[in-house]
Amino acid sequence: MADLALAPAPGAAAESARQLRHARMLSVGARCALPVAILLGIGFLAPLVAIFGYAFATPRSFDVFTSFTLTNFATLFDPSNTVWLSFLWSCGLALLTVAILAVIAYPIAYGLNMVFGRWSALISVFFVFPLFVSENVRLYGWVLFFIKNGVLDGTLKWLGLSGGPEVLYTPGVTLFGMVYTYLPFMLFPMTLGLALVPRDLVDAARDLGAGRLFIWREIELPLAMPGILIGMLLTFVLAIGATAEAKILGGQSIIVISHDIEIAFTYSQNWPLGSALAVLVTFFIGALTLFALSKLDLDRMLGRR
Amino acid sequence: MAPVSRRSVLKGMGAGFGALAAAGPLFNANKAFAAREKELNILCWEGYNSAQVLDPFRSKTGATVKAESLTNDPTMINRLRAGEINTWDLINVNNPWARKVMLPEKLIKPLPKAEFEPYFDKMLPMFKPPYKWAMSDSGTELIGMAQRFGPYSFVVNTDKISRKTAEDTGWDLFNDPALAGKYGILESDDWNVFNIFIIAGIDPFKVHTPEEFAKFEETAKRVFKGAKLIGDIASMNQALISGEIDLHMTGGTYSVSPARADGHPNLRGITPLKGPLPGGKGGIAWIEITSTVNNPNLSPLALEFLKYVQAPDIAHTVAFAEGTFNPVAQMGSKACFDLFTKDELDAIQWDSLDEEMARSVEYDIVPDYDKALDLMNAAKRLRG
Repeated sequence: MADLALAPAPGAAAESARQLRHARMLSVGARCALPVAILLGIGFLAPLVAIFGYAFATPRSFDVFTSFTLTNFATLFDPSNTVWLSFLWSCGLALLTVAILAVIAYPIAYGLNMVFGRWSALISVFFVFPLFVSENVRLYGWVLFFIKNGVLDGTLKWLGLSGGPEVLYTPGVTLFGMVYTYLPFMLFPMTLGLALVPRDLVDAARDLGAGRLFIWREIELPLAMPGILIGMLLTFVLAIGATAEAKILGGQSIIVISHDIEIAFTYSQNWPLGSALAVLVTFFIGALTLFALSKLDLDRMLGRR
Repeated sequence: MAPVSRRSVLKGMGAGFGALAAAGPLFNANKAFAAREKELNILCWEGYNSAQVLDPFRSKTGATVKAESLTNDPTMINRLRAGEINTWDLINVNNPWARKVMLPEKLIKPLPKAEFEPYFDKMLPMFKPPYKWAMSDSGTELIGMAQRFGPYSFVVNTDKISRKTAEDTGWDLFNDPALAGKYGILESDDWNVFNIFIIAGIDPFKVHTPEEFAKFEETAKRVFKGAKLIGDIASMNQALISGEIDLHMTGGTYSVSPARADGHPNLRGITPLKGPLPGGKGGIAWIEITSTVNNPNLSPLALEFLKYVQAPDIAHTVAFAEGTFNPVAQMGSKACFDLFTKDELDAIQWDSLDEEMARSVEYDIVPDYDKALDLMNAAKRLRG
């Protein structure tokens, strides 16, 4: 700027030079970003386009982009097709996971923000640490815990009791696995949400005679809502696509929708049908997410009315 | 250390992209023109992809050997159909696919017969040349090499169900309401289709009537509903050892041998004495056939590798590669057989191998597999 101020002719010529430089800078930036943008674009779009193309291909063929049929979708919507059962199980378990996690994660998130003080960081690490271990390994660990003569059953028998409950290979233990796996994905957005609640506001409400429940309902919950809802959305989207819990802990006592997609791509070798199913599930989750986000007025919830 | 600035990062990125751009044509040239003398790609069942098998070959040849393992045949064959014929040099699948599907579709090419047929003379008696599954339909061309094989029906915990009871009762064990909730099903859906047909008293390897399909569907619903769990080999062995289940459908030497080797000889693969298969047989056995892919630029190492795994010590290593333990055709040679310890022979149920193979028909293709699989998948969904 000093150079410009000292320039002998600070009029139109300097202005146009600056504009030119500005334009050139932008174009250099855009050019530099282009390879990465193209790479990301291809990486993101190519699989989606391929899946979308396959969804309209002749069943049990590899004629992607060279054939067009709606047979795959007709098969899925055929009333005799029981794939809706898998869809219901996935949706139901995902909703239950979200509901249970909301109740479990809220007190922990509250504690991390308001109660645990300098221990918060360490406690957070405890919740993050399992994410460094493969999900399958952790789930097999739970199998060893719950299995007959395993950690739980064996310990109870050693203590002279009748042994542990038979919970393995049931839909209930599948739900447990999902709650366990997705806890961090609910906890941390919720913790951030609760961090948005100004302590002064809570103190002021208390000074003005508001009760605990009133403060929670009128101040904490609305102000923390963005974090809570983002946590719920994230957990739901992850949980509806979950498959390892139903396979490893649940012993396939139920078949979830992502497992149906996997079967179509492997043993059935019906890539078009699997793709059609994947497209339907993607659209369902996408529509649900957009609907939820359209109902969320983040500005209003953040108090910027 | 030089400070990192935006400029230096961009310069670095530019150099990186430049290098990639320059190297790109070289990669292509390598693929298109250069002889692939130091490169070998294998599509196989697990075992052949293990370091124990591949590392000695790598150090002997100095080649880059890549092996990808999959756990069902149709997926591997469809990889070739989908255009990966230019990528792979060897494909290792169960017996009928080479002769009945891959050769007619020109996915594989024949081996030099004079060079490879003599190896069959040294194998176990059942593989004496011309060995059916290694030959083309016309019987003139050698299309693959045999190695691992085994009977594959079901597995029981002999502490709960004796070997004699299991062999005598056979597949009706899965029709017994008293055993509902006490058995598992291995997640191996092609084999499960075979076995549901057999439990329904129907030969799987033929075209089926609507009545037979109705029986198949009813049986599939009942058998899947009664299963305590469906899972992989590790889950089945774990559930057997812990006592969660007493037996599991689809299994044999291939699946139970790791548990037997681990000190659980009470778990045993069973081949029923009788069943609805041709000749009144009750079991099915698999034999792997490894063929050279019809790759326009096939690596010369493909044939080298096929010879390499015939050597007694390597054949023994293949038999006991990580994952599963299996008998190998090369045990017909004394030099190979002598490498197996008593415990190893016990793990692969060598004592009953001959009689179990005699009671089994060989793995084949179900003509109406797609329809049967759809019915079975629907039955699975009704478990919950």
